[in-house]
Amino acid sequence: MKVAVVVQRYGLDINGGAELHARYISEHLARHVEVEVLTTCARDYITWRNELRAGDERVNGLVVRRFPVRRQRDPLEFGRRSTRVFSTVHSLRDELAWLDAEGPNSPALVSFIRKRRREYDYFVFFSFRYYHAYHGARVAPAQALLVPTAERDAAVGLSMFGPLFRGVRALMYNSYEERAMINAAAQNADVPGIVVGVGSEVPARTRPDRFRRKYGIDGPFVAYVGRIDENKGCKELFDYFEQYCRFVRGDLMLVLIGKPVLPIPDHPRIRHLGFVSDQDKFDAVAAADALIMPSYFESLSMVALEAWGLGTPVLANGRCDVLKGQCIRSNAGLYYESFEEFLETLALLQSDRMVRRGLGENGRAFFVRHYAWPVIERAYVDMFERLKQAERAGPPTGQMEPLPGWFARFRSNLPPAKGVVEALPSGPSLKRERRG
Amino acid sequence: MPPAFSIRANSVDVEQIMKQIRTRIREKRGVDYTEAEIRELASIKLETFLDPSRVRSELLDHYRRGGPTPPVAPLVVPPPPANYEFEADTAYLSSRGALGRTLYAVRRLLNPLLKLFINPNPMIHVLNMQSTINRETWARFDGVLGRFHDEYRDRERHRVELDALGYEVAHNLVVEMTRLGIEVKNLKMRVESLAGRLDFSERRARALESIVQYRPGSGPGQEPPARPKPAGEERRREDRHRDEGGRDERAANGGGAGIPKGEAQRSRRKRRRRGRGAGAVPQGSEITPGQQNQAPPDHASLPSEGGGHPARPDLPARSEGPDSSRPEDQ
Repeated sequence: MKVAVVVQRYGLDINGGAELHARYISEHLARHVEVEVLTTCARDYITWRNELRAGDERVNGLVVRRFPVRRQRDPLEFGRRSTRVFSTVHSLRDELAWLDAEGPNSPALVSFIRKRRREYDYFVFFSFRYYHAYHGARVAPAQALLVPTAERDAAVGLSMFGPLFRGVRALMYNSYEERAMINAAAQNADVPGIVVGVGSEVPARTRPDRFRRKYGIDGPFVAYVGRIDENKGCKELFDYFEQYCRFVRGDLMLVLIGKPVLPIPDHPRIRHLGFVSDQDKFDAVAAADALIMPSYFESLSMVALEAWGLGTPVLANGRCDVLKGQCIRSNAGLYYESFEEFLETLALLQSDRMVRRGLGENGRAFFVRHYAWPVIERAYVDMFERLKQAERAGPPTGQMEPLPGWFARFRSNLPPAKGVVEALPSGPSLKRERRG
Repeated sequence: MPPAFSIRANSVDVEQIMKQIRTRIREKRGVDYTEAEIRELASIKLETFLDPSRVRSELLDHYRRGGPTPPVAPLVVPPPPANYEFEADTAYLSSRGALGRTLYAVRRLLNPLLKLFINPNPMIHVLNMQSTINRETWARFDGVLGRFHDEYRDRERHRVELDALGYEVAHNLVVEMTRLGIEVKNLKMRVESLAGRLDFSERRARALESIVQYRPGSGPGQEPPARPKPAGEERRREDRHRDEGGRDERAANGGGAGIPKGEAQRSRRKRRRRGRGAGAVPQGSEITPGQQNQAPPDHASLPSEGGGHPARPDLPARSEGPDSSRPEDQ
């Protein structure tokens, strides 16, 4: 069986959530099926500038085929088109223009899929909202599996993605919340779908003491790992933590690991370590009393999964449905939706070792049960086999609805995407389901 | 402020914990948290400004710098451009004097020819109407603007008055707050002083109560009247009691002859009774009623603790004089 993983960027030094997800999945699937990666020459997700050489190369033993991006993203145009489709009544043509503006605009990649699709059994498309996934899935719908990596943002409400979600052969969701949201937006509950997520390379042994010695951190601390960005909820985290320090005496520190996009407050109990090695990161998470995830929008937090894998409890922003749902399903994390809850939950985690230990044990068990690599690999392979069986039983069901006619695309009758998403049901999906 | 949760490691239930936390927060909001705490929670960054110790300088300086806000100049709307009156023959007129009149005549003459190409009449009509509309609109706007100006002036006058009042009220409040702050500080100091003095008086009273009192002349000719002792002697005696008490305590704790405390006390009492039986209490003296059966008060640090001690036989027997009575026996 030959599978192509199609993703917007790919490389060892590319650490975006979906891109890392795609690389991990590719490398692990390669143990079971033949895997090739189809991607672009871009490294920067803002401009999609061609920085890598077009053509074939090998990355960690996998064949990676790169295709050039035809034009870079113009942020002004993209912003203007985003406002148009997210906030006003618009047409399908506006949405298609928005997708072109977003990129990575690589017709060569789509053309390759169209011409060579018979060489592959399945294409696994990552990130529904990008050009390659939309157009790629449309040219090979009968072989398309989609890993949407959808957050609760306005793009989900665009009408153009309904046929995509309904037309692919299968969807590999990251969380129950993501599945519920897409099912509600696209009415695609009949399309085979499975909540699978992604595993993580969590080391079997960590050395928290080494981390403490290396960075001179003696006391208890909570850790944040990731881009230090307002969009990730870090500003609110800083505010809350500073207030927490006023209310709760002690020496609990907030240790930040990652690239700062936001100014970090000069506070004696906030420490920024910058970008650290994977080993340091894992040691830090293992040494921490808890990992804090302040983000409002996550399709799946790999850092939270890693923390659970290491037996560290998570304190998450409860306004993110996915994180809240994960905390409840795993029984391994607390969540806050206001400062008062932040205060109480963090104080509890700080003061009660039994709670920390209980949550950590639950997290470890949850990780092993759902996010260990054998489980993830099995889920993908099972899905391929299931689709194969369905093909043997009858013709493939993946039929993409055709685009409306030229004039119909100009009709401004599509609702603002923001409004559509706001109307979707929200909240954590608490049904504890089994895979399959 | 660790919350009182009883959670075992093997039975952690996140939903349950969150429920407990929310209940706790609700209870705190309703009972424990004061309004000030809630305000602090809501806007912690205002803390510096709201800090009472800083109110005076910040607020008064601010007001002194600005003073009452000066009135804002009323809104000035420039007059409209002159209305262009568009009449039926405006389109044909010319401003070139005699030549203009000739041009006007020619244009009127050629008007039927022009009408073969376009009909200017509707345009003339529309422009005429527009001119009328402009005139009317301005007249109405002018009326509204006048009313607005009147209201604006009234409101501005009110605002200036209120600003002045606000300044005065704030000023008075700050001054009063400062005065009260000083008064509170003075009162605190006075309370502390009074508490200290009260404490001293209580100790002194207990010490005096423990002294066997002599009634001068209670036995005729039996005992010379007690010589009143000067205050300095009284204080010295109290000091001696305190010193001896300290020594007794050390000895009773094992630092002396190795006699257990209870045993030492018992032997002390026995010796005292023997002393009393042998007429150690001089004639004419009496123990105040209830002095013997009174339960020992819990005054570990009182000077009256310093009774005679078996570990210190060199010390004079305390039962010999009125000053040597001990509270342990009371």
